[in-house]
Order: sequence, then C-alpha cells, then structure tokens
Amino acid sequence: MQDVLWCFSQVKGTIDIGVTEADIISTVEFNHTGELLATGDKGGRVVIFQREQESKNQPHRRGEYNVYSTFQSHEPEFDYLKSLEIEEKINKIRWLPQQNAAYFLLSTNDKTVKLWKVSERDKRPEGYNLKDEDGRLRDPSMITMLRVPVLRPMDLMVEATPRRVFANAHTYHINSISVNSDYETYMSADDLRINLWNFEITNQSFNIVDIKPANMEELTEVITAAEFHPHHCNTFVYSSSKGTIRLCDMRTSALCDRHAKFFEEPEDPSNRSFFSEIISSISDVKFSHSGRYIMTRDYLTVKVWDLNMENRPIETYQVHDYLRSKLCSLYENDCIFDKFECVWNGSDSVIMTGSYNNFFRMFDRNTKRDVTLEASRENSKPRAILKPRKVCVGGKRRKDEISVDSLDFSKKILHTAWHPSENIIAVAATNNLYIFQDKVN
Amino acid sequence: MLGRGLKRKLSDYEENMAGLSSAFDSSRNLPYPLKRQLVLNMCLTKLQTYKMLVEPNLHRSVLIANTVRQIQEEMRQESSQQPINVCPGITPSSHSYTGMESSGISLQLPSGISQQESNYDQPKQDLKGAECVFGSFEISNSTSYLKDLAIDDIFEDIDTSMYDSDFCCPPLMPPRPPSLICRTDLSELDHIMEILVGS
Repeated sequence: MQDVLWCFSQVKGTIDIGVTEADIISTVEFNHTGELLATGDKGGRVVIFQREQESKNQPHRRGEYNVYSTFQSHEPEFDYLKSLEIEEKINKIRWLPQQNAAYFLLSTNDKTVKLWKVSERDKRPEGYNLKDEDGRLRDPSMITMLRVPVLRPMDLMVEATPRRVFANAHTYHINSISVNSDYETYMSADDLRINLWNFEITNQSFNIVDIKPANMEELTEVITAAEFHPHHCNTFVYSSSKGTIRLCDMRTSALCDRHAKFFEEPEDPSNRSFFSEIISSISDVKFSHSGRYIMTRDYLTVKVWDLNMENRPIETYQVHDYLRSKLCSLYENDCIFDKFECVWNGSDSVIMTGSYNNFFRMFDRNTKRDVTLEASRENSKPRAILKPRKVCVGGKRRKDEISVDSLDFSKKILHTAWHPSENIIAVAATNNLYIFQDKVN
Repeated sequence: MLGRGLKRKLSDYEENMAGLSSAFDSSRNLPYPLKRQLVLNMCLTKLQTYKMLVEPNLHRSVLIANTVRQIQEEMRQESSQQPINVCPGITPSSHSYTGMESSGISLQLPSGISQQESNYDQPKQDLKGAECVFGSFEISNSTSYLKDLAIDDIFEDIDTSMYDSDFCCPPLMPPRPPSLICRTDLSELDHIMEILVGS
C-alpha cells in the first residue's frame, strides 16, 4: 500500500455552511462490479452514481462517477399506536448481484426494508394501431391498414420502482441488512432480533436470532451488526454491544440461539476504565472477501479475526488511541456512541475506517504501515495527491500536525466504501461524498 | 414539552458537565471516588434525559445502564465489605481500575431522598420495547448508601414541578426500575402492541 498515492477525484454535495440535516449521508455502498455507487441520506433519499466509460481522449479521468438515479426511498412515518415518529433516514443499502439488465438494491430505515429496481429505458414503442401517439383511442372503423409498432430511441430515462416492501417485522431499530450468497434470501437485524427473508415473500419472515430476555429489566446486551458469510449461505455472524461476535449456522436449528463460534478477546486490565464496556461495543462487522476473516470496529480500534481462532483477534489496529485520555469528555458529548464502519479492499490486504476531523485511516495488513488522510475541500484540486495527516499527542507540535484538542468532533467519517476490485474509495463527510483514486502512472 | 426556562437551565448544566468531564480527563489528581461519582452522575443524567424521550435509544441505554450497574456494584462492595448480588445474572467481580486510590475524602452529601422511597412499593408494570428505559438497575429498599449519592446537587437548579403530575414519581430519583417512572398510557399501548404482534 505504500506504493499507492491517493488522489482527489470528485466531491458531491454542496459547500453551504449551513448543512440541512436531511442531506447528511448515512450510508455508502458500491455494487458488485463497482460500476454503481449508492448513497442514502437522513432525508430518506437514495442517490446512485454511475461510473462513466473510460475514454481514450481523457485517460486521466479514469471513469468519473456521475448521478445516475435519485429517488425517495423512505418517507417519515408516524406510529399512531406508540405515538412516535419513524425516521426516514436510510440506515443501510445493500446491492443484489446483477442478474439481468436491471439493478436491484435493498434500502432500509429503522423499521422497513425495501427492494428497489433501477432500470433504464432508452426506447419507446411507436406506431400502435388502436391508439395514436397521444394515447387516444382510434375509431376502429377508420383504420384501413395495419402496421407493426417499432421501437424508437428516446432520451435515456432511469426509473426506480419499489418492487417489495418488507414491513412490520421489527419492533426495534434495524441496524443491518445482508444479502445471502444464495441470492434468494437476506437478513435484517435490529437491536434484539434477526429475521430471515425470502425476496419473493413480504408478509412473513423467519426469526433466526432472538436475544430479548423474558424480562426486559434483565437486558444487558444488544445486537449491533450482522452479516452473511460471502460464500456459505448457511453461515452468518452478528456482533454485540459487549464486544463479542457470534457465528451461527442456520443448519443446526431454526432459531440460532446457540452460536457455533463465539469470538471474544479477554479484557486488558491495564486499560480498564469506567468506559471500558462502552468503547468495546462493536459498531460494524464485515467478512473479508475471501470469507476467511472478519473485521470488527469498536470505538478505538479495528480488529481482524481468523474464523478458526475464537479467543483473540489476529490483528488489532489503533485508529485514534489518543482519544483514550479524553473518554469522559467524549462520553459527556455523546461522541463515544458514534458508530464507525470499516471496509476491506478488494484483495483483503488493506482495511479502512473513519475518524474525527474528517480524517480516515487505512491499514495495510501485509506491510503493517498505516496512513491518515483527510477529506476536505482544501485538498480538492483535481488529481491532487492527498497528504498524510498526523495528530500530535503531546509535546511539541510540528508544523503540519494537529493537536488532539484542535480536532473537530462534529466532522466525523462514519461511512466509507471501497471499490470491489480497484483502488477507488468513497468517503462520506457529513453531506459531502468524496471519491479518491490512486494515482495513475 | 420542556418549558423554556427548563431548557436554559439545562444548557447551563451541560456547560458545567463539559467542564467537569474535561477536568476528569486532564487531571491526574482527582480522587478516584470523585471520578467515579462524576461518571455515575453523568450516567444517571443521561438516563433521565432518555426517559423524557418517547423512544430512547436502546443501545445507548443498555451501555449506560451497565456502566451504572458496575459502579454501583463497586460502591456497594466498598460500603458493605461483602458482595451483594442485587441484580440477578450479574456476578460481582473485583475490578481493578487504573489509578484507584483509597477514598480518603468523605463526601458531604445531602439526604432528602427518603420521602421518595415509599414509591418503590408500587407494582411493577410489564414493559417492553424501547419506549422506556428498561430497568437494568434494580435497587433494594434497604440500601442506605443511596442517601450518600450527591444526585441532588446536580439537579438543584432544575425546575421539576412540571414532572410531578406527569410521572408516577419525580425524575430526581436514584436509579430504580423504570416501570415506576414511565407513562402509564404508553405501557398499556405497549401491552396492546405486544398482543397484536405476538412477540
């Protein structure tokens, strides 16, 4: 990875000082080929970008992403029975692998999952016999000839239509959705339960995990994230607020209450504090593309686990350990509850996650080198190489370093995505989406 | 539903807490019991704030409640010299916190909680869902150490008169099962929902 120089490619979103809450990006996801990049925001909208074909005339542009489709996925709802509003914020988007000309994705808010079909229309039929071009019916007695309607080109229209709505299956807030490798089922996970759905059936789902205690007063742990194994359609993992990961096999029983594997690292007594449990809560879990490893993100670290070793991770990376001495302040302003995501690159050799001050971090698992980069408008000149950033922990601050106390905790990078096969990354910074690519030689 | 006056006072409080928490982070000389008390107060404040919400965040509530439970268990062990297993399923364990010092400081704390203790006898209502903070911290009536908590200090200047009619008990209480505090009508709706969705 030290050979990769990351350059600014594009930024989407406004530069306005006052950010509308609805424009805050809440999820980012490439599709399986990397041709499409989807974002969801707090206002319930989905914006899909498509990579343009590379042209020989402008090889340096390396295929920019342009808006392909925009649609309102979820609207705010009001639950009259409980007297509360259901947010329209899109929590997650997951693409289905492409099986025909249309694209399919799942998008979810706190309560409802929807399957969207995104398809192109660039031709329309003309020359009907029984109706004219306006659609008005013709008088059949006036028709003396028959013709065959022909398809004529029209301006490209991209339509998004909701094909399925999977509702009323979650009492608690949905935090994850994951498409199974069989492409026929998917799961949705909330704080206490995980449900398995068939894409074709919207009025019922199977409950496969339920950690709700009979007496809610005994609740001490919630589900924080869940994902299917990329190849084994019977296997999935889910993480908890206590820093544990459970791997379950759906073949063993209908309700996966007993895990097949249980991943937990013993606590380091020298790091114990009042906030130990809170910072151990896992905010994201992701299988490697190979399916051999899982990566977890907690407040201060990213960990890589080998599926064959349950008692500790094989690698631990410090994202921003300098925050360890600031935990009380971060608890007071609720930043300690921020849920950062983490992603693998296509070859599982580099992992990436976000931090504060619009910083994001990459760790090369082979060279053990890491880098901190920043998503900001100042570094937004076309093809400008991103300069590594450094946080000064104590003592003398060098010229380009930033001190911990100067970090802007309102600028947090929670959502990032990595192209499935190339070195192209998408980084969501509040209402802006940054796209970076590696430098073309 | 918060009155304007209440909001102003809360923000003053928030400023004070921000100052206290950065003092916690930066000072090495803060005695351990004081640090612990500060964290406990922050936790309780957050939980009280969540109770005012129609739908508190379950994940955060669980984490904060677990932290409260841990601290209270530690305080209980210290005061009684003997672990009391109040919360079923919680194994009292000896934590070794860094920088733990013996509590040479005796905290001068006001009492004034005793008149509220009669409310503990109210029957628990069966609550589900995230509409109320679940009761993860059960305290028996006999814990006299509750009088030692300095909760009243931080709530001094908060006007709570508007809560007295709405809630079963005023929210200035030390931790207790939430069934006593949450709105009765919401819990009934919850019960109906449970029957309807058959969960």
